[in-house]
Amino acid sequence: MLQFSKFVFVRASLAILTLVLVSFIVFSLMELVPGDCAERYLAFKNSQGSIISLADIETERVRLGLDQPYLKRWGLWIVNAFQGEFGDSCIQRLNISQLLGQKFWLSLGICLSSLVLAYAIAIPVGIISATSNNAVLNNSLRLVSYMGLALPNFLLALMIMLFSTVMFGNSLTGLFSKEFRDAAWSYDRVIDFLGHAWLPIFILGWSATAFAIQTVRALMSDEIGKLYVTAASARGVSGRRLLMRYPARHALSPIINSLGFDLNRIFNELPVVALILTLTEAGSLLIEALARSNDQQLAGAIIFMLTGSIVAINFITDIILALTDPRVRRSIVG
Amino acid sequence: MTDKSNTQSLEDQKLKEAYFTASQGQLIWQRFKKNKSALIGAWTLIILILSGIFAPFLTPYDATIAGRDKDYLNGAPQIPRFCDDNGCSARPFIYTFERTRSIKTNFRWVTEVKTGLEDRRYVTFFSKGMEYKFAGMTFERHLFGVDKGMIHIFGTDSTGKDIYSRTLSAINTSMAVGTIGVFIAFVMALIIGGIAGYYGGWIDSILQMITDTVRTIPSIPLFMALAAFIPDVWSAEMRFFFISMVLGFIGWPTLARRIRTHLLTERNQEYVLAAQLCGAPPKHVIRRHLLPSFTSYIIVDLVISFPYMVLSETALSFIGLGLKDPVNSLGVMLQNVTSADVLLNYQWYFIPVIFFIVLVLAFVFVGDGLRDAADPYSDSKK
Repeated sequence: MLQFSKFVFVRASLAILTLVLVSFIVFSLMELVPGDCAERYLAFKNSQGSIISLADIETERVRLGLDQPYLKRWGLWIVNAFQGEFGDSCIQRLNISQLLGQKFWLSLGICLSSLVLAYAIAIPVGIISATSNNAVLNNSLRLVSYMGLALPNFLLALMIMLFSTVMFGNSLTGLFSKEFRDAAWSYDRVIDFLGHAWLPIFILGWSATAFAIQTVRALMSDEIGKLYVTAASARGVSGRRLLMRYPARHALSPIINSLGFDLNRIFNELPVVALILTLTEAGSLLIEALARSNDQQLAGAIIFMLTGSIVAINFITDIILALTDPRVRRSIVG
Repeated sequence: MTDKSNTQSLEDQKLKEAYFTASQGQLIWQRFKKNKSALIGAWTLIILILSGIFAPFLTPYDATIAGRDKDYLNGAPQIPRFCDDNGCSARPFIYTFERTRSIKTNFRWVTEVKTGLEDRRYVTFFSKGMEYKFAGMTFERHLFGVDKGMIHIFGTDSTGKDIYSRTLSAINTSMAVGTIGVFIAFVMALIIGGIAGYYGGWIDSILQMITDTVRTIPSIPLFMALAAFIPDVWSAEMRFFFISMVLGFIGWPTLARRIRTHLLTERNQEYVLAAQLCGAPPKHVIRRHLLPSFTSYIIVDLVISFPYMVLSETALSFIGLGLKDPVNSLGVMLQNVTSADVLLNYQWYFIPVIFFIVLVLAFVFVGDGLRDAADPYSDSKK
């Protein structure tokens, strides 16, 4: 027990250290970008018709605290960020956590669901393909995995949209129907949401599934050849019982370990899919609010939160692994 | 009897000798040749790359706005044919057309093809066309063209640019972005992974920490954030180099990790100790002894990471944050396919997508084939 709590402690501090490093990288990159928040806001006001001078920019800078030294501002930013407070958006002048709030959790929910979907398909299919000698099955699975990489998901999304526009006259875009967009959460809204969310979940899950099948298959075929499996089958264990109790258990730990990076890959695909399906509630916020309006406060907050959720997943999977596998517990602490 | 078995064993021995004395490159090539899908991938790749390089010659028109056909906007592909109702011809031909737009056609361009004998436009080969520069010289011969008007075998886009010409030059751009990106990632990975792996200890721990951190940041959102701040005044070429560079700076961690792992195992080998005892400085040991020990792995890794660069570039350009006109890349070409209008009426916009998929698949097949060939354990499994 002591060993376990020590493990959790080491892992937690490592995770926090990673987050601090991430915040430094993100913050520095946002600083390197030409122009700062004050200039951007006043340029925006200028385009709205009000006349501004250099002195205005300076006062705005002082007001925003941009005249403070770099490290001090970073320190302030990171302390606030850990409390979920990212300050105001550069252009929209709204509190970022309010602006992101629900949208972020919706996006995260969609990404996690597609991750779950991917492994729900990949684990059984991968195990079957690793154990069977059916050449047709294996080759077609290989082809599917390759297509998962090469067929860009935006193309898949387009195809499905085209099909549904022609067949049902409904383009399947957005996450909510019009009447539910600003409504409070209710039973009907949840049903409406689920009716829309399956498509982005499926599309994001598509390439993730292809990757996952390949991983599961490779790990399983590595494990199946090992001596402990032969020993177990010599003892008379066979069939599904043999697979589940011996090689599958071993093959699973690297998979759990890499869940965080799978999530990373899904995050990479989220903006493109969100753009096509016009999910204004979710990922395309990234494009809308950040890319087109050049809002570096918001950009930094979004990237920090995305990375934060990956680090959190990594931490959780580490703990799960340590709970199920005593070797992991020992390797880190001892 | 004994004679026969003798010669047989002699042959065996020769084969074995050839096997044991073969260089690593020869062994990899031997194994690579046996892999059908990888070989097909390699040929496809070579053809695609060559057609990208010789795009100005292979395509009849300029890929930029200079090569537009203002009489044939959003035009359907014109497929050359040999025969029609008026008889056959030894030379392939396409038809003249007339385009009209009025309230009757819902203000959409409607093409009326004239199929009369006198309306044929014959395809000419090695015809003179627009001038282009290649390898510092100016040429004006193109592989094919037509005697009257223009030919668009893949159709045209909304500004009248020839999609076939654009596709081939887009391959070129995408490959160039990928090459620069992979090269930068490779150099960074070599330096960081090399230092981490060679020195080990606390230097390794710190560098590993940084590498892992960079790996956790989702690269496309990060890159989007950066690309959004590219000043509008930058020229298309500057954008191009900036984007390739950023792709490289984001892509190095995976490679650096692999190099480090290899170095950590290799640096305890005796030949390294021997070199160190001879007084070789660390730089020399890494460069002359350690890196050559896994060159093949590095090459494989580079080939494998290539399609990811191309994919990232495409995704970015597709969103509108990557490359822009007049630079042509596969992602730029896909920018306009999202509208319902294109989906329902101008399906030939999707032709570049096929090239894109084939390019990525070819890279994946070659990469997989090379990895299997370079992996010394792959024999024991099969």
